[in-house]
Amino acid sequence: MSAEALIASEFISTALALILVYFFFKAYRFTRSIHLLGLPVGFSFLAFSYIFLGMSLLYENNVAVSESFLWLRLITQSFGFAFVAFTYYFSSKTERATKFFLGIISFASGISILLFLGALIIAPPFLELPCVNVVDECFRVANLVFLGYVICHLVKHLKPSHVAVSSLMWAPLAFSLLWLAQYSLLICGIDGSQTAFVVAHVARLASLTLLIRIYYWSGRARQ
Amino acid sequence: MKVEKRGKFRIYFDVLQLLDKEMKSSDKPSLTRVAHEANLPYDRFRNCLDYLIQVGMVSRKDGKLVVTEKGLEYVEEFKKITDFLRQMGLLS
Repeated sequence: MSAEALIASEFISTALALILVYFFFKAYRFTRSIHLLGLPVGFSFLAFSYIFLGMSLLYENNVAVSESFLWLRLITQSFGFAFVAFTYYFSSKTERATKFFLGIISFASGISILLFLGALIIAPPFLELPCVNVVDECFRVANLVFLGYVICHLVKHLKPSHVAVSSLMWAPLAFSLLWLAQYSLLICGIDGSQTAFVVAHVARLASLTLLIRIYYWSGRARQ
Repeated sequence: MKVEKRGKFRIYFDVLQLLDKEMKSSDKPSLTRVAHEANLPYDRFRNCLDYLIQVGMVSRKDGKLVVTEKGLEYVEEFKKITDFLRQMGLLS
């Protein structure tokens, strides 16, 4: 894949993720269920992670800047998936527990991003961060766990009572594609497979597009 | 039995939907019946109705209350979002 195609893929993903942020925030505004706030926050983190990856590709020639963006991307992406997974976990829990844990995860994400930025700005000469490619695999495994949980939750909890059975498969499929994207990047990190790399980008774009389509389909299904 | 607490947006949706149904189907529309079906005490129902009139979702026409285009759009949008959340596995 050429650098231009990769950058375009990242910025298209950002736009798609931001559209999802708008839809999920709208859903939160209508329902005022605190646990639903995790979705717009999670997809905002994901949108930032795609921007950071795009920026790291734009500044490919400057290794230090490019690596900093890659670090930011790793952190924001994992927090994004964590927020989405926690949203599903707390969808059946009490409002109080949700507020408490949403507070904790928000605090943790804020602190870790600030600490990391601090480390990048203040400490580079004295403190060496581990190689981003090594840590990348650990973050990816964590992402696979978060997405795996979402898929299991969806398969377990989707009930065909109010919605047509055929429309119930799209959300698990969309999250499975996101899982496939992470898995393919993990494979690509291990053996450098170009096919896995292309599959990852295609799967991610397909997944985000599918999530947006679910919103439009939900309106059409009623009509 | 634990009763699910409704948010105010859900209450507006219920009131608009029931009011529209009452005005269209009944010869003698009754606000008390709408309040009862919406499961709201009458004073809270009146407050809710006043708010809906104030924001233009309900209006008075020939002495009768009617759900406006804006109110019907709100009902449709609420249904769409509820459907969306169900499909996303976030609403049972």
